[in-house]
Amino acid sequence: MPQIPPLVDKRVLRPAQTALALELVSRMDLLRLKSIARMYARGLPPEVAWEDMLQEALTRVLVGSRQKPEDVTMVAFVAGILRSLRADYWRRAVKTNDAVRIDHESDDALALILSDPAPGPEQALDARQELHAIKRLFAPDPTARQIINGLAQGLSAEQIRVATGLSKTDYDSARKRMRRALLREGLTCEPK
Amino acid sequence: MRTKVTRSSPETALLRVLDALAQELIEASDEEIQEIAQALRMDLTMPESAAWAGVTYFARPRLDEFFDVDPHKKLPEGH
Repeated sequence: MPQIPPLVDKRVLRPAQTALALELVSRMDLLRLKSIARMYARGLPPEVAWEDMLQEALTRVLVGSRQKPEDVTMVAFVAGILRSLRADYWRRAVKTNDAVRIDHESDDALALILSDPAPGPEQALDARQELHAIKRLFAPDPTARQIINGLAQGLSAEQIRVATGLSKTDYDSARKRMRRALLREGLTCEPK
Repeated sequence: MRTKVTRSSPETALLRVLDALAQELIEASDEEIQEIAQALRMDLTMPESAAWAGVTYFARPRLDEFFDVDPHKKLPEGH
């Protein structure tokens, strides 16, 4: 009988370990990417796990299905793949909103799939809840919350500074505090 | 002239925030990461550190950790 490896074989390297062994990323890069994957998995259906997104993104790099431009760092490149994966999962979630209408009055059982490209109320609610969850990360920091509100409205850093009256130093300090809060959340292994 | 107000969908707003925060994480320095790990009492030199959960080992409990779900064992001889 052929030897088939078990479903989880500790001898089989995960894509992250392979990328590390091939020196495509550093250990610190992996932690950056973990935090970014946790971030991009926000608002997606619960069955989409951030760790699967992370391993999938690294797999795409390893198999060469995505080529990294020379002027882009590996972390930024993988972050781009994570963003694209998020968009794919989002589209799939939206597609499940397709409504099926059955015409009972007709002799033929006619089923029409009404495809609506706009996000359904569930996705809108999920996105809104995640925005609130992100704001809660910065609950003790009113400046950070102002920055988040500005980012949500699509304002640039300069526009946020003008709108909030923050000096460049205050803005940079707030960004540093935000980075720390993001890393604190990103390094944990709690569910998203 | 009235200010033009545009309302974006919650998903668009969320994506804008996520992109900006991802950029912050891309720019985080090694020192910042090590500092936070230390504050969380994570030893990054240990392979079983919680920091590596989901990266080098599975973060979520898996069925096969609790149950014998290896389907290959159920295959009859000769397969």
